[in-house]
Amino acid sequence: MNSSLPPHSSGSTASTNSSSHDDTPQISRIGESRWEAVAGDRVVGSGDTSRRPDGRLFLSVDAWQTDVFDQLAAAMLADVGEPLHTVVDETDAELRACWQRAGFAVGRREWEFVLPTDPQVTGLDPARLPAGVTLVPAGQAEEGPLRALDRELRDEIGATVGWQAMPAEVLPLPPGVTVADPARYAVAVRDGAYVGLVRVALVTRRPRIGLLAVRAEHRGQGIGRALLAHALDTLHRAGTDSAWAEVQEPNTAALALVERAGARRVGGNLELVRR
Amino acid sequence: MNRENLARTPKGLEIEGTVLECMRNATFQVELQNGHKVLAHISGKIRKNYIKILPFDRVLVELSPYDLTRGRILYRYRN
Repeated sequence: MNSSLPPHSSGSTASTNSSSHDDTPQISRIGESRWEAVAGDRVVGSGDTSRRPDGRLFLSVDAWQTDVFDQLAAAMLADVGEPLHTVVDETDAELRACWQRAGFAVGRREWEFVLPTDPQVTGLDPARLPAGVTLVPAGQAEEGPLRALDRELRDEIGATVGWQAMPAEVLPLPPGVTVADPARYAVAVRDGAYVGLVRVALVTRRPRIGLLAVRAEHRGQGIGRALLAHALDTLHRAGTDSAWAEVQEPNTAALALVERAGARRVGGNLELVRR
Repeated sequence: MNRENLARTPKGLEIEGTVLECMRNATFQVELQNGHKVLAHISGKIRKNYIKILPFDRVLVELSPYDLTRGRILYRYRN
C-alpha cells in the first residue's frame, strides 16, 4: 500500500472499522483512481478507475474472493459518480455476476473473431473491386483527405472522440485527432474521392482489423468487402495467417461480411453499464 | 509448491510464466518458471485495455494466496 496517502474512508458500508479482525478486509482509497482491500498485512483486492478521452469512466476490480469484490465495488461506487462502465469476457459468468450484484447491466455486446488471411480460405479475391473503385494501399494515402474521410465517417456514426461504442478504439490522442498513424490506413477511392478505409493494427503476434468503414452513400456495394480482402491479402503476403476483428452484435452487415470470409467466433466482450 | 523464483510482495506471489492454452470461462493455463501450471484469469486492467492473451505469450502472474494453483495475469510481456 502507498503509505504516503492516508487511508480514505469510502463512506459506504463496505468500509470496515479500524478495530476489525486481521482477516476482515479494510477498504481504502489509496489514490485518485485506486482502491485496495487489505486483510492483515496482505492486499487481497484492488480496484481501479480510468477515464477514457470520451469521458466515460471505466472500473475494474481484482479480488480473490467475491465478498471482497463486493466490498471494493461498493466503496468505489460510493466515491465516484455515474454513469460507470466496465468490460467483462462474456464467458466469465462469475465476474459478470459480481458486477450485476453491484448494479451493472449489459449495455453492449461485441463478438471477437479470428479471420484467416489466405484468399483461398476466405474466398475474398483481392483483385475483385466494385466498378469505379480503386484501392490505395497502406502508407500511400494522402494524409489530408484521409483525415477528412475519418472525420466524415465519425460524424456519420455519431461518434465524438472515437467510436463511441468501441472502448478499444478510444485512444489517448490530442483533442481533435482521431487518426493516430496515417500509414496504417488503406483507402477506397471512387471518382477521386476517399469513400472507405481499413486500418490494421500490428499488435502482439496477431494483427487486428482495427477499423473498417465506408461512407454511408457507398455502402452495400462491395467496398467494405474489397477493403477487407485487401487488408487480409496484404497480411497473408507478409506471412501472417490470421487476424483479429471485433464486431458489435447489432452490426449485422459486418457480421455477415466477416462470417462469409471464414471468420471463427472465439469469444465476446460485454460492456456493462451502471446509470 | 517449490517457491523458488517467487517474489514475495505485499500483493502476493508474482512469477513469470508462459501461456499454454486459452481455456473456457476466460481463463488461461500458464506454465510458471518453476514448472508448475496454474489456471489464471486476466486482471481488470488487461481486460479494460483489451489486451489479447495468446498461447506462448510470456506473462507475469500473481498467485492466489488461497490456492496456489490459481492466479491472475497482471502483465503481458512483449515477445
